[in-house]
Amino acid sequence: MGLMCADAVVCGYGVADEILKGVALTVERRELVAVIGPNGAGKSTLLKAIAGLLRLKSGHISFDGECIDALSPRDRARRGIALVPQEGNIFPTMTVRENLEIGGFLEPRETPRRIESLFTRFPLLAEKRRTAARTLSGGQRQVLAMAMALMVQPRLLLLDEPSAGLAPQAAETLFDTIAAIHAEGTAIAMVEQNATAALAIADRGVVLVDGRTARTGPARELADDPEVRRLFLGG
Amino acid sequence: MITDLTQLLINGFLAGAMLAVPAIGFTTIYAVLRFPNFAVASHMTIGAYAGFVANVWFHLPAAPSLLAAFLVAGLFGVVCDEVVLRRLRPASPLTLAIASVALTIVLENLVRFSFGNDLRGYDLPVLRDWRFAALRVGPQELENAVAAGIAMAALFLFLAFTRTGKMMRAVADNPTLAALKGINADTVARLASFVGMGLAGFGGMLLGLDTSIDPLTGFRVVLSVFAAAVVGGLGSIPGAVAGAFVVGIGEEFSLVVLDPSYRSAVGFVAILAVLSLRPRGLFGERAY
Repeated sequence: MGLMCADAVVCGYGVADEILKGVALTVERRELVAVIGPNGAGKSTLLKAIAGLLRLKSGHISFDGECIDALSPRDRARRGIALVPQEGNIFPTMTVRENLEIGGFLEPRETPRRIESLFTRFPLLAEKRRTAARTLSGGQRQVLAMAMALMVQPRLLLLDEPSAGLAPQAAETLFDTIAAIHAEGTAIAMVEQNATAALAIADRGVVLVDGRTARTGPARELADDPEVRRLFLGG
Repeated sequence: MITDLTQLLINGFLAGAMLAVPAIGFTTIYAVLRFPNFAVASHMTIGAYAGFVANVWFHLPAAPSLLAAFLVAGLFGVVCDEVVLRRLRPASPLTLAIASVALTIVLENLVRFSFGNDLRGYDLPVLRDWRFAALRVGPQELENAVAAGIAMAALFLFLAFTRTGKMMRAVADNPTLAALKGINADTVARLASFVGMGLAGFGGMLLGLDTSIDPLTGFRVVLSVFAAAVVGGLGSIPGAVAGAFVVGIGEEFSLVVLDPSYRSAVGFVAILAVLSLRPRGLFGERAY
């Protein structure tokens, strides 16, 4: 059994709204899964459902063998699930250091040590530690958002469009960072519009279309698949 | 003329300092719970009466009575939020605002039934005003301004340096992300109600120390409190302080051209001016 298994998940934002219409997604331990698909396919909705921000209408999500359907986002965070949303992923009026402190809210004893360790890893954050997060650039905000998630050493990191709005060079640096986090053993499910870059660092790819799982397979196979290339990889 | 204007400025500053305490209470609740809780009016009254009981019935000095005003109003705030407002939270902010007006009427009448309608005063020594050249400053007003300053400083230190304060700021900044980081929204809502209404009660007693108290103590100034929060930027604590001084000084200066009975019109004018010219207020919506 995988670390996280979402099975036949149906959910949406309103009573009659069904964005996900029976999605299945499994993430194994230490695996990086890239979730790709057209706009409106339900990629971000799937991550929100896993993190507990949306209630399921049907289907189940289990984490480490435990059904987590009824758990709050807080309880899911306690079990090691960390979502980095696409937007609104920092606390804008708080300083960089305060953002990291809130990132480590569930493990306060470890917080000072982990902040220093993250400052060593991301010197940019160390330089800006007393700066209000709202003044950071798009790329810097993404790094801060990722660092906040790492404050609790998650077992499953959910990344929603991490490269959205970034300049190509900043996006490249960010993908390097994601690959490094993955290499350290953290399981990652990453939703990404830049399918080429996502599949390049992923172990496995999942294609969502209209709220359903359309394809799944090794990332390299998907990247080489003519149909996937035509639809999502621009060639 | 200059002396008169300077006197008005001093009076306005002292009035603004007292107004600032309930205004930051109001804005703290708005920042976290995202609705204007007009029940600050009745909680100001409850705090004023709690301080009265501590000071007159139990013969405590003003400082511990202010603490009693804070604690009792804060506890009332938590209980009222749990019993009345919490279940309405899924509804719109307007529904909550209307419910808070109804709540303030109920609480105000609870005070009326318990203590009657008579004006009541605190047991304080009568002191002469201090005179500097032709300017006058009441020692009690000055003490109130110092107490207000201490309360504001304490709130600032609490929000800036404690884990609980940072937790409240995180929820005010981005409630969804705060939930993802494991912060319990219900705990923060209770804390915001306690701190916000406690400050309202503290401010209510400060107003009473300056004059006297009756069941309408809070209701009379709630417009000025609301105006202060709007002028500064709803949800902004330094904004509420700045807004309180703008409204306090504006109300005093209005006496130059207006009859004192029209003083409360300054609050309306301030709200109208800010909403027309700078809807986000002096400090913006979410400044800390």
